[in-house]
Amino acid sequence: MDLVHLQRQLVDYRTSLYHEGFLDEQFTQLQSLQDENNPDFVVEVVSLFFEDSERLLNELSKALEQQIIDFKRMDAQVHQLKGSSSSIGAHRVQKLCIVFRNYCEAQNVEGCLKCLQQVKHEYGIIKTKLESMFQLEQQILNAGGSIPV
Amino acid sequence: MNSSNGNGSMSTASSSGAWDGRDQFPAGLRVLVVDDDPTCLMIFEKMLKTCLYQVTKCNKAETALSVLREHKNGFDIVISDVHMPDMDGFELLKHIDSEMDLPVILISADATKQIVMKGVTYGACDYLIKPVRIETLKNIWQHVVRKKARNTV
Repeated sequence: MDLVHLQRQLVDYRTSLYHEGFLDEQFTQLQSLQDENNPDFVVEVVSLFFEDSERLLNELSKALEQQIIDFKRMDAQVHQLKGSSSSIGAHRVQKLCIVFRNYCEAQNVEGCLKCLQQVKHEYGIIKTKLESMFQLEQQILNAGGSIPV
Repeated sequence: MNSSNGNGSMSTASSSGAWDGRDQFPAGLRVLVVDDDPTCLMIFEKMLKTCLYQVTKCNKAETALSVLREHKNGFDIVISDVHMPDMDGFELLKHIDSEMDLPVILISADATKQIVMKGVTYGACDYLIKPVRIETLKNIWQHVVRKKARNTV
């Protein structure tokens, strides 16, 4: 695929992520922070987000398997996931965290289990989509082009 | 512990202590940012550096307190997340208030009126809701100036 095609594909892909509510304007903020001095800033932050989110999701899974569920600790973890997902613009994950916290507060195990599944699902989707987007960007760079804004 | 400033050390640009800005104001504002979330901490650091502030970051309130105690007059403003394990933002704020004269901004993903009220009554000079935009951080110097002005009256 030639460079122009790749660039157009990237722009379309990115636009669709916003349109479908996967990303919000906070992601744009991150992109605007990237410059020649920090050309990998977005990839670095998002990678950190993936690492930390996976840790939190694992801990939440374990917490819900316990005999006695520590809702307070779970609430703190969901709260953190809400904060980090909002900071990178992972809109759908952030929205689900709000619902999740309500279930934690109500100490509703069924609700929490359902929410956790949904969060894991949405997280999986945004991770795949962002990784695809980064791959496209890398292809463009390898072809000697620049990333369109 | 995870704290570093742009130069990779804890020292601040002005060894005389007080930052007096002048021509570059508010560039060089000495900010201590505290958040146990690594993603948010990385983003804050980048945003604050983009504002041309001098940034030191910590991922624990106790560490932040040690840093502040070891470097009296080394910072102009503290930005801290509210929900952190061990010591939270409110407790950090109380310590800073009693030991030092620094403006403290609290940040949280929590936006309930009760918690914002708590922040304000505890003495936070501002309470920001995540996600924080860079435009908001560009204005934090006002809190430093306001506090200084009040102290000299």
